[in-house]
Amino acid sequence: MASFFLSNEFGLIVGICIFIAIFSWVDANFWSPFNLFVISRSAGVYALIGLSMMAVIATGGLSLAIGAIGVCAAMAFGWAIESAGLHWSASLAVALAVALALGYVNGWLVVRTGIHSFVITLATMSVFFGGMLFLSQGQSFRALPAEITEFGRLKVFSISALFLTAVAVALLLAAFYRFAALGREMLAAGACPEAAELSGVHSGRMFILCHVLSAGLAGIAALLVTARFGAAIPSMAGQLGQDWLMPGFLAPVLGGTLLSGGRVSVPGTVLGAILVTILANGLLRMSIGEFWVQAILGCLLLAAVLGDVMRKRYLAASGRA
Amino acid sequence: METARYAFEARSVSKFFPGVKALSEVSLKLSAGSIHALLGENGAGKSTLIKIVTGVYQPDQGSLFCSGQACRFSGPRDAMAAGIGVVHQERNLIPRFSIAENIFLERNGRHLFRMIDYKALAREARPWLERLGLDLDPALPVSRLTVAKMQMVEIARALALRSRVLLLDEPTASLTPHEAEALFAVLRKLRDEGVSMLFVSHKLEEVEQLCDTVTVLRDGNNVCDARSTESLGRQDFVHLMIGRTEQVVTRRDREQEDVPPFLELKSVSSALGHRDISLAVRPGEIVGLYGLVGAGRSELAKVIIGRYPVTAGEIRVDQAPVKIRSVAQAIHRHGIGYVSEDRKHEGLILDHSVLENAGITVWRRLANCLGLVGDRSIRALVEPHIRKLEVRTPSLHQKVGLLSGGNQQKISVAKWLSAGVKLLIIDEPTVGIDIKSKAYLHELIHELADKGTAVLLISSDMPEMISLADRIVVMNAYRVQGELANTGEYAKVSAGIMNLIHD
Ligand SMILES: Nc1ncnc2c1ncn2[C@@H]1O[C@H](COP(=O)(O)OP(=O)(O)OP(=O)(O)O)[C@@H](O)[C@H]1O
Ligand SMILES: [Mg+2]
Repeated sequence: MASFFLSNEFGLIVGICIFIAIFSWVDANFWSPFNLFVISRSAGVYALIGLSMMAVIATGGLSLAIGAIGVCAAMAFGWAIESAGLHWSASLAVALAVALALGYVNGWLVVRTGIHSFVITLATMSVFFGGMLFLSQGQSFRALPAEITEFGRLKVFSISALFLTAVAVALLLAAFYRFAALGREMLAAGACPEAAELSGVHSGRMFILCHVLSAGLAGIAALLVTARFGAAIPSMAGQLGQDWLMPGFLAPVLGGTLLSGGRVSVPGTVLGAILVTILANGLLRMSIGEFWVQAILGCLLLAAVLGDVMRKRYLAASGRA
Repeated sequence: METARYAFEARSVSKFFPGVKALSEVSLKLSAGSIHALLGENGAGKSTLIKIVTGVYQPDQGSLFCSGQACRFSGPRDAMAAGIGVVHQERNLIPRFSIAENIFLERNGRHLFRMIDYKALAREARPWLERLGLDLDPALPVSRLTVAKMQMVEIARALALRSRVLLLDEPTASLTPHEAEALFAVLRKLRDEGVSMLFVSHKLEEVEQLCDTVTVLRDGNNVCDARSTESLGRQDFVHLMIGRTEQVVTRRDREQEDVPPFLELKSVSSALGHRDISLAVRPGEIVGLYGLVGAGRSELAKVIIGRYPVTAGEIRVDQAPVKIRSVAQAIHRHGIGYVSEDRKHEGLILDHSVLENAGITVWRRLANCLGLVGDRSIRALVEPHIRKLEVRTPSLHQKVGLLSGGNQQKISVAKWLSAGVKLLIIDEPTVGIDIKSKAYLHELIHELADKGTAVLLISSDMPEMISLADRIVVMNAYRVQGELANTGEYAKVSAGIMNLIHD
């Protein structure tokens, strides 16, 4: 039990409580049903973006392309419904298939070339995004069926269905890493590919699957965003999908996912995403400019990384790590 | 003022880790011009004590004295400045750097901007290597060396510091008797020059040969400190360490059925330089592979598991010729496992728990139709082995990297004992393991063979070879020199092996 109070998760819960206390003090409407809905809606999307990044960080790498992959999946969804005339459920499958395929491309390139995933995904980010723009001519798909837009507005006790979806996915993912042989093997390969390989794990294959998993989660995140907007829009994740990078890194790093790979925390990532959302929401409602919000989030990322380094040094000196 | 009786002294030092009391009120006294042994079972606290003396850890209680003066080290550099040199149990070399750079790492680190004169560095490094009888080019990157050679380089680095107090944590663990002799000659010479040395080893013959005084630890407590070794024999050491006398495991003569071999190599040559290697291992048989370091045994193992290509000849598994392209293929398709001698890089995932490391080989087998596997079924399979080997850990969820060296080694072998492979290649299984656990591990390897697993055992430990193997294949310079049946008669078999090597 003592170890729980030293964990990242506990720190995040404390952080979330502090931010909630501050914001509900300065902002009377913080607890309004509408604001709860808005926060939970963004938190759900951020959580999935964070989990998507976490899945590749597990390999000791990263992916700059999660935003681009997400947008590609969302646009594929829009295309399948509007241009191909498929039912929305079949279109979901199409969208996820596109995401998984793009993730496979990333993973395959990383494993085959041996080049760091930073460089590979920097390149594929532009390629995927550019390809999407070329194929879609930059046009949005706005005539989505009512089920999708309704889902975007659905709430249970003021909590957005998007958030509940994210929680459900997170639970499955946590169970996957904890109980599935495949999940365990992914972490083993991420921690030490050599040793894992000699223990019978196909380390290369695991790396590819980590990228595929990450892309799948990015796809789900993008579909939630689509439901929220009621449209699939090329710019929904910013230029080249870069708007996803900050929440993508912040959530897992705050949550205690090891940047060198091999250890992930699904609950930590979800809590990290919640914290980031509450902070951003509170700051925006205090009418602090978007620019400042970004700067503050950047500082938070630096603080999280530095905090991690310091904690490691301290543990090493006292002989605990 | 009282003149210092001891070059170094630690008084009632204690050290606690979460869930572990590693040392409690331990004392250590090192005299100038003597070699002092530090003995104890795996996890007794030897390395922890050494890390405290060299400033890696701070003691939670107790005090240190350098030549009679109280001292505190806030980091390894302080200890070094006080004239204390060390060779840690785990290798601490920078793989991509050359031998010479590694030897003078400490010195080069001090001048941030000065250019490094590589020629001079190599020139200065050479005498230290030569002192240890090493014929190595100082410009060679360390990553190209075998584990044994790395160990020697690290010893050279410690010597090059010219310390007054030199601590050696299992320096001979992966050395052959020959290399160890070269090291001992150097240590004796240093003793005559007045250096004070601390020597940790699980090989009691070495301690008897070399050491003047002994400190024994049991469960983090002093059993004795700075006792003269003069009147002590092997059995006394054992008694001090484990509180009872050694149980000699008698060699069982095992019936060999005449079954066809599981693995057969026919005139195999490899990209690594093996020529014309032929050997066979039958199910239930333990075949020893003996040779001096550099004979190409570990390399042969890596060829068999598909790490390096076969350039000529044929490998047959279950009588069918096979081409093994990857390690995963060797394990999953052919049931061939390999216990690496390099547990830090190839054997264990140091950052993961004991249970995760011990279970990695069985996850797939235990997974249900959904691919799920719970801790309980993994525990049921691996825990008996961990218990039998008396792995000292606060829980199965402890990170493996936090276990003592010997306990890590136990895990790196234990994880294969339940893997269900048909052939297990075991490379130096008992390096750094204490004598009691060594006997248990030998029993487990016997049990494995009795259940029908073919075992190919690589070991530089002749007594181990003779107590385990049914047949011994002798290699030298990447060739098979010959093979002999193991009758269990030590003198005869070891003479036979030596004859084959020097043929
Ligand atoms: N950093 C650490 N964190 C937690 N426990 C530790 C740490 N270092 C050592 N221990 C524990 O302290 C005990 C003593 O370990 P130590 O490494 O000193 O043993 P040792 O006598 O050197 O054993 P070996 O012969 O196996 O090398 C062990 O039980 C080990 O698990
Ligand atoms: Mg030790």
